[in-house]
Parts: sequence; structure tokens; C-alpha cells
Amino acid sequence: MISNYDSSARTNYFSELTTYLWKQRDLIKLLVKRDISVRYKRSVLGLLWTMLNPLLTSLVLWFVFVAIFKPKLADGTQFAPYVLAGVLLMTFFNQGFLAAAESISGGVGILQKVYVKPQVFAVASSFSSAINFILGLLALVLVTFLVGDGISYLAPLTVLVILCMLGLTIGLALMTSILFIRFDDSKNIVAIALQLLYYLTPIFYPKDILSEKVRLIVSLNPLSSYLDIFRFVFANTGRATAFDWIYMISSSIIVLIIGLAVFKRSWAKSVVMM
Amino acid sequence: MTNHVIEVKDVDLNYIIRHGRASTIKEAAISAIKRINLDITVNALKGINFTVDRGEVLAIIGHNGAGKSTLLKILSRVLPPTNGVVKVNGTVAPMLELGAGFNPELSGEDNILLFGVLLGNSTKSMKSKVTEIAEWAGLTEHIHLPLRTYSSGMMARLAFAVATFQKSDVLIVDEILGVGDAEFQIKSKAKMLDLISHGEATILVSHDLSTVEDLATKVLWLDHGHQKMLGPTQEVLDAYRKA
Repeated sequence: MISNYDSSARTNYFSELTTYLWKQRDLIKLLVKRDISVRYKRSVLGLLWTMLNPLLTSLVLWFVFVAIFKPKLADGTQFAPYVLAGVLLMTFFNQGFLAAAESISGGVGILQKVYVKPQVFAVASSFSSAINFILGLLALVLVTFLVGDGISYLAPLTVLVILCMLGLTIGLALMTSILFIRFDDSKNIVAIALQLLYYLTPIFYPKDILSEKVRLIVSLNPLSSYLDIFRFVFANTGRATAFDWIYMISSSIIVLIIGLAVFKRSWAKSVVMM
Repeated sequence: MTNHVIEVKDVDLNYIIRHGRASTIKEAAISAIKRINLDITVNALKGINFTVDRGEVLAIIGHNGAGKSTLLKILSRVLPPTNGVVKVNGTVAPMLELGAGFNPELSGEDNILLFGVLLGNSTKSMKSKVTEIAEWAGLTEHIHLPLRTYSSGMMARLAFAVATFQKSDVLIVDEILGVGDAEFQIKSKAKMLDLISHGEATILVSHDLSTVEDLATKVLWLDHGHQKMLGPTQEVLDAYRKA
């Protein structure tokens, strides 16, 4: 229930939003549940599809690249879990980011009829992608054991990667949702940008094979740091440098804060545009 | 501190309408370079002032496009006013459009749950109310079926039941007195009247002047976004009928 509304009140935006999101945790839970059940209700495989989908994507990449690369990377890393880790994390990012942005731009109809802070939808969509990612980890465990590798004792630190990814996707999605509302053609541009980002992230290639110049560009992509850390903590493959840790955590926090601030400034203007 | 339940002061609302062309990045860039503004600002509301006190029922009347629904949206907090101040003391139950936010893939039960939680209730409290709401709407047998299998009459009944199940201080009603078949119309109208009589204050939009005459204690007449007249029901209605 909405109570005691004063349109002229000046409150602390961040603390008010945090309190609001906490109060609406039931709504977030319900939206996440709905997301997941609607997505899989009509498929025979149900929730299993969550795990199968990244597995099949990885299988395609594995099939294509094993013919080109050696089955093992230069440092002895197995290729299959390497690719699957990349696909899982990238799917988490792509899916979470797009679903969160569209939950606001596509939900404007509801947002004009019922009072809900739109950020709730972005948070819920990102959470459902996180849950998909966690389910996908089961597949990764399976593949890792199948190729004879083990899980690292640092694996619980994956939680940190998930948290940072949530911040990054929510922040980016809030900015992008405004773009989606204002400009019809922005979706195409974002799709192309995402494709570029996909190739600039070491999902199916090791960074070592890149020329120095390209390697620098790939390293500047924050998602590379997320992926390096994820692979390192989960199955002890590759390295995660101090730079990676700092870059992951700071990019998440900064993008989230900018996203929240941009959204706050632009929402009132966007909601009267429809 | 103010004693009014609702206070609206100098409220304006501007919609921004962009012609098809202006809604692409390319056109926006070109118009920025040419320094022309493709956005058209429409003053949907201009200089609205009124208060509603305890026990009052304010009816908003006016022709289509006068800004009635826009004003309700501002009071429901869905739209922020461009200028001016809106204050509401107490809880608000907005009934703007029945069935907004329903998902056809989910069952009636899940929709009740989702909508109730959307309005700020806890999942737990909603779960205990689902049976009661379904029963009131006469949908007990269908409540586990997806909404897409409902007839439009069943949908309207469910939407009304969900929108009116909770009591709140301020009621905001957009033309939803009486939905469904004849029997349910009587039932829903009675429910509405009960809610209005128990609430602290009510704001309602209606084209049915006899309803307004029966229920309202005062009337706001909107004309093209301007506040044409505000006063006791009979006085405003007489002037409105003459115009």
C-alpha cells in the first residue's frame, strides 16, 4: 500500500531506494519465480533446459574450435570446461542485462497504472539470470569432472563474481532502459554492441593467442576480468591478477551508481513520453 | 502540518509527444544538429488546486481528454507532476484500470498473488486471501487455470475482486462502478459503495452524472486540462449541464 505521499519531499535517493527494495522483497521473489516458471513451463525439458542450453552452446563452440585449436590450451587447461565457463558467465551477463532493461521499457504499460518503482523489475530480472547461472554451474561441475579436472576449494568465491555481475547488469540495464524507451532503434545498436563485446571477451579463445594490441583491448573489457576470476576461483584454471579483482569490484560499483543516478534523472521525463 | 487528506497545489502536467520520426537515434541526432525540436509538449493539466478532507467524496467530471485520468495517475503516484505539489496523508488504493498487470500465462491464483504483492502486501497475507477473493468473484472452480482460458466477464470479475479486496484510507476510482453481468453489477456496486463509505476520502471519475450526484460531496470540473469549476456537487453539476 502506498502511504503518505508528498511529491515535494526531498529524501535521500539511495537509502530510500534500498529501503523500498527491501520492503518489496516479496514482490522480487515472486517476479523471479514467475520469470523462471513462465520461461520453462511450455518446454518439455522444463528446468533441465537451463542446464542444457549453455551445454549445447558450448558443444557447438567446442566442436568448431577443437578442430582448430588443440584440445588442451597451451598451459594444459582443458578446453571444454574453459568454454562452458565462458558461455555461462556471458549468458548471465547478456540475459540479465537485456531482460532487466526490457522489463522496464516493456513494462511501461503496467508502470503507468500501478505505482511500483521500476528498479524492482530490473533487480528481479537480474536475479533470475543469476539463478539460471547457478543452475548452469551444475553442468560445469559435471563437465569439469568428466575431463578429469577438479573443483577449486576457492569455488565459494564465485558468489562474489555473481554479486558484482548483478551490480553491473542492473546498472547498465537502468541506463539502457531509458534509451530503449526513448529511441526505437536503440535495440539494434545495443545488439551490435553486445556482439562486439562477446568477441572481445575470452570465451572460446585464450588471451595468449592474441597480439599484444588486441590483448590490451580485451583486458580493458571488464568482463574479461570477471571471467578470469570466475575460471580461477571455480576450477583453478588460468590466473586472476590483483588488477582483475580491483577492476571487477570497482566496475560493478561504479556502473551501478551511475545507472541508478542516470535513471533517477531521466525516469520522470521518460514516463510522460509514452 | 496539514489536516487535509489530499492536497493538490498548482499542479501542471506536461506530456511530451514525439512524432514517429523523432523516436530514432538518427533523427534525434539530425534534429540536434539542425537545432530543431521535434518534441511537442502538451499541457494535459494546468494549475490544478484542490483539497479533500476526511469524509469527502470528490468527483472529477469533464469531457474526454479533459485530463481526468491524468489527474488520477498523479494522485496514484504513477506520474510525477511537472510542477506543483501533491500531498496524500494515508494509504492509497488506486483503481485505475482493472486487470493492469495481469499475466495470461499464470493461473488466476498466481495473478491474485502477484497483483496483491505488487500493491505492497506480503505474499503470506495474500495467500490467505486468495480463496476469499476467488469465492467472492465466483471463480473458485477456475482459480487454478491460466488466465488466458477465462472469458472476458470472468476476467472483469477477478480484476474487480482483486482491486477492491483491501480497505485503504484513500480510494481512487476510475469509472469502474459496476462490471460484469447484471447480478455481478449489483454486487460490485454495493461493494464499491461500502468501500467509499468506510474510506477516509474518495476521488472518483465518472461520466455518469447521476452516480456523481448520489455519491459526491464536491465536484471538480476539468476542461482541456484547466480547472473550470470546483464546488458543491449541485452547483457544479448545474453549471456543467448548462454548458
